[in-house]
Amino acid sequence: MRKMEDLISINCVKLLIIALFYTCVSCSSVEQKIYVELNDTVPCVRLLNATHQIGCQSSMSGDTGVLHVLESEDDLDWILNTGPHPPYMIVMETAFFNRSVMLRMKNSSRVSGVAVIVSKTGLAENFSPHTTCPNQNTGVYSEDYGPELANCNVTAWNPLGNGLSYEDFSFPVFALKDENQTQVIRKCYEDHNLRVNGSAPQYPLCAMQLFSHMHAVTDTVTCMRRTDLQNRFSINPEVLCDPLSDFNVWSSTRPLNNSAKGHKTNESVVIAATRLDGRSFFWDEAPAAEGTVSGIVTLLAAVHALHPVTQQAPPLRNIFFTFFQGEAFDYIGSSKMVYDMERNEFVIDLDNVHSMLEIGQVGLRSGRDLWMHSDPISFKNNSVKDEVSLMMKNMQSVAAGLNISLDEPPVTQPLPPSSLQRFLRVRPIPGLVLADHRTSFINRYYESVYDDAENLNVSYPPNLSPDEQLVFETEEAKSLAEVATLVARSLYQQAGGEERNLNNITADPKIVAQLLYGFLIQKNNSWFRSLLPPEVTKKGANSILSSGPPQFYIGVGPRNIGPVHSVTRFVQYIMANLTGTVTNLTETQCQNPESKDLFSYFWVTGPSVNGSGEPLCVRASVRLAKAVSPAFERMEYGSRDYSTWTESRWKSIRARVFLVASRELEMLTLGVGVAVLLLSLLVTYFISSKAELLFSSSRETPTTTY
Amino acid sequence: MNLERIPNEEKLQLCRRYYLGGFAFLPFLWLVNVMWFFKEAFLKPAYTEQPQLKSYVKKSAMGLLLWVAVLTTWITIFQHFRARWGEVGDYLSFTIPLGTA
Repeated sequence: MRKMEDLISINCVKLLIIALFYTCVSCSSVEQKIYVELNDTVPCVRLLNATHQIGCQSSMSGDTGVLHVLESEDDLDWILNTGPHPPYMIVMETAFFNRSVMLRMKNSSRVSGVAVIVSKTGLAENFSPHTTCPNQNTGVYSEDYGPELANCNVTAWNPLGNGLSYEDFSFPVFALKDENQTQVIRKCYEDHNLRVNGSAPQYPLCAMQLFSHMHAVTDTVTCMRRTDLQNRFSINPEVLCDPLSDFNVWSSTRPLNNSAKGHKTNESVVIAATRLDGRSFFWDEAPAAEGTVSGIVTLLAAVHALHPVTQQAPPLRNIFFTFFQGEAFDYIGSSKMVYDMERNEFVIDLDNVHSMLEIGQVGLRSGRDLWMHSDPISFKNNSVKDEVSLMMKNMQSVAAGLNISLDEPPVTQPLPPSSLQRFLRVRPIPGLVLADHRTSFINRYYESVYDDAENLNVSYPPNLSPDEQLVFETEEAKSLAEVATLVARSLYQQAGGEERNLNNITADPKIVAQLLYGFLIQKNNSWFRSLLPPEVTKKGANSILSSGPPQFYIGVGPRNIGPVHSVTRFVQYIMANLTGTVTNLTETQCQNPESKDLFSYFWVTGPSVNGSGEPLCVRASVRLAKAVSPAFERMEYGSRDYSTWTESRWKSIRARVFLVASRELEMLTLGVGVAVLLLSLLVTYFISSKAELLFSSSRETPTTTY
Repeated sequence: MNLERIPNEEKLQLCRRYYLGGFAFLPFLWLVNVMWFFKEAFLKPAYTEQPQLKSYVKKSAMGLLLWVAVLTTWITIFQHFRARWGEVGDYLSFTIPLGTA
């Protein structure tokens, strides 16, 4: 009998365990039934400089609001004045993302956040969230130098700029780039939030919550001070903000000894410069096609064109190629290089610099003219004036041979925002800035998310495979190749090279086409893969070779995909590929070469023919130089002379959509809960006080025997 | 400690110790003094040590009220004006809230 009972109880226990196991495996989370998480959020973050904070901030536990799609003026009125369910979370159509609407949102207390639909439908003719006068306080024109030219008194370089990127919003602003996600939000809105016959929609309503709480406030000075205090006195130190920093890329036609800093005797250098970065209203989104890619591609193609000639018939002077990072944020890279040159901590110093040619925005030439901008104030120095006139004359003669119309803008016009201005702040150096605009920028989408391949008219015929698109020469590629040839020949002539070699210098449109494809359409292509190190190529999507075009925002270091920004890495390895020589060193020899004075060594994947390739060791004179503002080295966080831009830190950035109930229902639920609590306390007290009466056993006899 | 079982002189000594201890910037001792000896000082029938006990309890209560007034004023001023004080505010703070001034 006992054994049977044991067996039955053991079987019961086994059955119970199996049943529990089954239910646990097929259990579902309540949270997933309520919230729809939106992946791939593109936020706007807070940036700070010496005196101000810009960008967006949300509450610590996110900002919630009832969804409303802003498609017409009616909707605007509903949101700001008449809607009965404030605060609202706006889903803004592209056409409404402009200064007047955003400032009205900023001043209203009925808006808890904005999600902007980023698309080409409804896009205005121009949209630039940057200021009208970029970098006006850190350029060369000031009270002491050309005061009549300062603050864009003569020319507003970016007249279409609405300054939205430099406003401070106290609600989160996200971008909706994924069409499928936008569809999910729209569907929720249409199911629950639509107005029926003009009357307000009924609860439950669709709502969205945006989390983008930023840690830093007020300005860089405050934020750095608080970080220092935290590091010294707190048990759990937290960094609140990081300075924007990355690396400049530089190289030279004749190798320079990088271990010996300061002045190099008998070395006269012509600097060829361009910028590496861009920005937009949103974080880590900056396609920067006309603003930056046009310059990078032109200079890289010029480097490629110059390489064979400078090896066979070296010109008198050295040509120093440099790509400055962080120029959008008050010239971070160029101010750092000039600072190092002044203190003899760079491979050359300012006495070695003979002249400078900078490549500005050159992509929207459309078969027309190019302009050579120069600084009128430096012409007071006669030697500079003569040198610049000589440069212009040489360039014009080269351009005539190439059928490019090259001209000077009005004599009294100042330099556009350019790295040359930082050099002129310290010393009058003869320099020119090459650009496709005579006065103001032609770029209608300067420093915005819409400055992409379409802005440059780079498009490929359909039905081409990625490898075919890589080498397809678009009109833009041919145009930029002409500019690159002009730049290369002018640099050779400026460096004192012989006239008869000029015709051998031609930029290859195929290289330009590959560069344009890589920087505008798809960075994970076969050419880029062949010139990057094998560990990057193998990692694939998790490294700098993720899918899509690269983003040019400088960001802060160190990053989770490596210490160096992806674009900086690409430019470094492309330069190594275009100017380097293949050596027969092994991998270990390549990582630890005997002498790093004149060259750096790169271990790259190599071209893969028929799917297999051997990695190679490439030797080139390409270097990276740290690009962080001198204000942070000198710890002068309130500096007016140098860039003081920092980016705030944050814990989590996400968004989710869910249904909300009315306030009355919430209060009712709370009230019922409290009432049940009080009732149960009352009942428990009564039962406890009458316990003997309720629970006494009637069989018990009161007699006790002693 | 049950006050019922202690002789009156010891109660007086205890009260005195707590009263004197509170002067070392310890207002909580005065609070404890007031709460613990209130019944003894004011609600029990009179005995020899009671007048002195009463005076200690009264003085502790006054000291406590003074501390409460000072602390409340300082805390209100600090919470209201810390953001405006900039650097001084940061140096006076132990934890600084993230993301707000």
